[in-house]
Amino acid sequence: MTQVILATVLGLLFALGTYLILRRDVVRVVWGVSIIGQAANVYLVTMGGLTGQSPILGHGGEHPVACSVPDAGANCVTDPLVQALVLTAIVIGFGTTAFALVLTYRLYQEHNTLDLTEVTVE
Amino acid sequence: MQPSSSALLALLALPFLGAAFAPLVYRVLGERTAYFAAAVAAASLALVASLFGTQGTVAVPWIPTYGVSLAFYVDGLALLIGTLASGVGVLVFTYSGGYMHGEPGQVKYYATLLAFMGSMLGVAFAADLIALFVFWELTSVSSFLLIGHYQDADASQYAARKSMLITVAGGLFMLVGFLLLHVVATGVPAVDSAFRLAGEGSILANADTMVGALRAQGLFVPVLLLVGVGAATKSAQVPFHIWLPNAMEAPTPVSAFLHSATMVKAGVYLVGRFRPLLLTDEWTLVFGILGLATMTITAILAVAASDIKELLAYSTASHLGLIVAGYGMSGYLGAETGAFHILNHALFKAALFLVAGIVAHEAGTRAIDELGGLASDLPLTAAVTTVAALGMAGVPPFNGFYSKEFLFHAVYYTAEHAVADGGSVLWWLLPAVAVFGSIFTFLYSIRFLMLFFGDKPDALGEVHAPPLAMTVPAVVLGGLALVVGLGGVAGTFGVHFTPLERFVGTVMESSLAHAGEGEHSFSYYLPTEVSPWLIMSAVTIGVGAVAYPFFDGIRDGVRAVRDVDYLRPNWYYDGTVAGLDRSSAIDVIQTGNLRTYALALSLALAALTLGAYAAAGVAVPGLAFAGLGPALVVVLAVAVVGAVAVAAAPSHIAGVLTLSIVGFMVAIFYILGSAPDLALTQLVIETLVLVIFLLVLDKLPAFYGTANRLRAARDAVVAGAVGLTVTVTVLLSTAAGPDDVIAQYFVENGGVPAEHGPIFADAGGGGNIVNVILVDFRAFDTLGEISVVAMAALSVITLIAMRERGEIQ
Repeated sequence: MTQVILATVLGLLFALGTYLILRRDVVRVVWGVSIIGQAANVYLVTMGGLTGQSPILGHGGEHPVACSVPDAGANCVTDPLVQALVLTAIVIGFGTTAFALVLTYRLYQEHNTLDLTEVTVE
Repeated sequence: MQPSSSALLALLALPFLGAAFAPLVYRVLGERTAYFAAAVAAASLALVASLFGTQGTVAVPWIPTYGVSLAFYVDGLALLIGTLASGVGVLVFTYSGGYMHGEPGQVKYYATLLAFMGSMLGVAFAADLIALFVFWELTSVSSFLLIGHYQDADASQYAARKSMLITVAGGLFMLVGFLLLHVVATGVPAVDSAFRLAGEGSILANADTMVGALRAQGLFVPVLLLVGVGAATKSAQVPFHIWLPNAMEAPTPVSAFLHSATMVKAGVYLVGRFRPLLLTDEWTLVFGILGLATMTITAILAVAASDIKELLAYSTASHLGLIVAGYGMSGYLGAETGAFHILNHALFKAALFLVAGIVAHEAGTRAIDELGGLASDLPLTAAVTTVAALGMAGVPPFNGFYSKEFLFHAVYYTAEHAVADGGSVLWWLLPAVAVFGSIFTFLYSIRFLMLFFGDKPDALGEVHAPPLAMTVPAVVLGGLALVVGLGGVAGTFGVHFTPLERFVGTVMESSLAHAGEGEHSFSYYLPTEVSPWLIMSAVTIGVGAVAYPFFDGIRDGVRAVRDVDYLRPNWYYDGTVAGLDRSSAIDVIQTGNLRTYALALSLALAALTLGAYAAAGVAVPGLAFAGLGPALVVVLAVAVVGAVAVAAAPSHIAGVLTLSIVGFMVAIFYILGSAPDLALTQLVIETLVLVIFLLVLDKLPAFYGTANRLRAARDAVVAGAVGLTVTVTVLLSTAAGPDDVIAQYFVENGGVPAEHGPIFADAGGGGNIVNVILVDFRAFDTLGEISVVAMAALSVITLIAMRERGEIQ
């Protein structure tokens, strides 16, 4: 089913993220990367279907249908695989953001500026 | 006998393993890593020795879909190159132990040199065209690294870049030739595997059919020329010889190993390998002219050299020309020349390079004019030089004499037959040029030898005796050269040096064309009767001896001609490279500014994606609204507003706080989208990120990039393009869905089976499929994730702790 609203929202988030990456302030670049990362996660989760139940089974024996299966019916569960992938991605995104921040900090220590245009050509 | 596959594979793996372990070994052994490397080379040599007497193919599948395999073929030629690579390797590593004492970058040096040895063994044994190409380029890369060993020196950088440009560009020509060969071979039924060069059912095994097919498609001459360019660039044939003298910027052991005994032999190896396939009149014309021109021109340039290593470099190119010319001639004589001279040249030239290293090391200069009378200080070195230099000059009974006789014989034979068959009288130029070039070879060889005799210049200070690690390898090489030479003397009296003769015979057989070159067993001895080729040798030595007293005059004359710009290939090379440098858009593209790259990447991404949609004629589906609850809509709207606020944030603090709004809205989105695990993770991570941001911002100044309206508008357009691309992509991808859904597998298999349900699901859990996937089905993903976090943590600690310890740079 076409997700018009999500398509618009994701487009806006990606656009804002890209705009931030093109700034000359390193901190803003880190924000941009972070926003794009969030948006990509949202996109993945969207692909797993938003309307179903949580992918948590009750007592053994029941095998519900994943929502991404064609004609899954109303009682389906959202796609657990994309959720597992996104969970991994969130944590990795955290690692990279932390690393990027420390690099920013070191950049400032070494060059005494946060302006990317001033630290380019040697 | 079939070669042992385990020995062969071990042989190829060993040097690379040695290279991988070199940094560790260096920590333990320090400068004695040289002897570790020598041990690896010795083990390789032993493995090569174990392959002697065998012949055949060993293949390991590599890319079966395309019929590419890691196939290795053992025969005489492969064994010769393999023996040189590992044998000279042992000596060069030992020598390095003395030479590299106190030099910088030793880990890199030994690791690269070992990797080079492995690549060279790969070139020697590879029987698959793609594998051969890969090893071939690996030797170019390691040569680049070794020439650039003193990476801060301008001359090293220039030399390394030059060799890389020339040899790699030549390698690409060769690749095209290989691919053409492959295309043609696919159409020949007798060839089982179209990338297989040697062995059963290979291209070489069906040489006649292959040549027919090549000719039928008009590809014979193109393939010949393309492979020829590859060989000529690698083996420094005119006019591509210019990289070799510059390559002498490398440490001397490297020059001895790569740039005389082994890597530059890769080109002549290729010529020898392809000779059975491509030997025709065109072949003789191309390689005969190429080889003799190189031999003569570079011999003349060697006379003009002012530095001993420069002299040896030109001389190497000259002797490689001799080998190429030999392989160019038809008949067994041609193959004999090539095979025997590869061996002889490796022995005497590697010895001479080691001598040059000793001289430079002990006398402190490499300038020819400043050296003389070294024999009194370096008697052993002088003895080695005498054997090697006279061999290089082609003076009997030293080793180079025999292979040069073979060349004279081969060119004379070729010219005689060509003219007898009604060819042009111009064919007689071949022997004439061969003699002319050899005269210069004689001159520079004697000049090199005279460094050790005559008066010692006063300016030359005290010359110390070299360390044993440097003398022994030179003596071993010189000794081997002497043994080969004396073998010929013994042969004259009927006592043949059988193992050597039989070995060179098998090397020769590798390069014999199957049609009409006949059975011939190799043997060599001093000539016992007067023949045209003996007269050619006599003329060479006679004229050389008469001309030697006028050496300085000849040298100055050559220098005058050499320095004319239009005659210098270097002038063209430098002009082209400088021209490319000036005209290229490097300053525009490579600004070193993140923005430039991000801008180009974003635009390219948008253009390529949208372009691909347009090209595929994808239509945006009807805009049917999916059911999205009002809560979700509100959450998403707040997220967008938050993101806008981030972009417009007046200060860092404001930006971080609004960024958190986006993050927490995403968490709520996960809750509403039935993804509780994600929501939990997101909440924890968002909180952590906020804290870390605030901690770091505390140390950073407030910074406001002065707004430039024009730039902001331009960036907004780019960002808009990216946003549009994403919107279209999401619309397209959410409208479609696969029939076969992977998720269903996890849903069905993730839970606890019915019979265990009451026990496990109630007591221990296991109903959460996302968790089951994370810790079970895709546990490796989780392991990877943990590793990333661990690596990030380590990097953070290192970056901060380094600063505090004051270890900057």
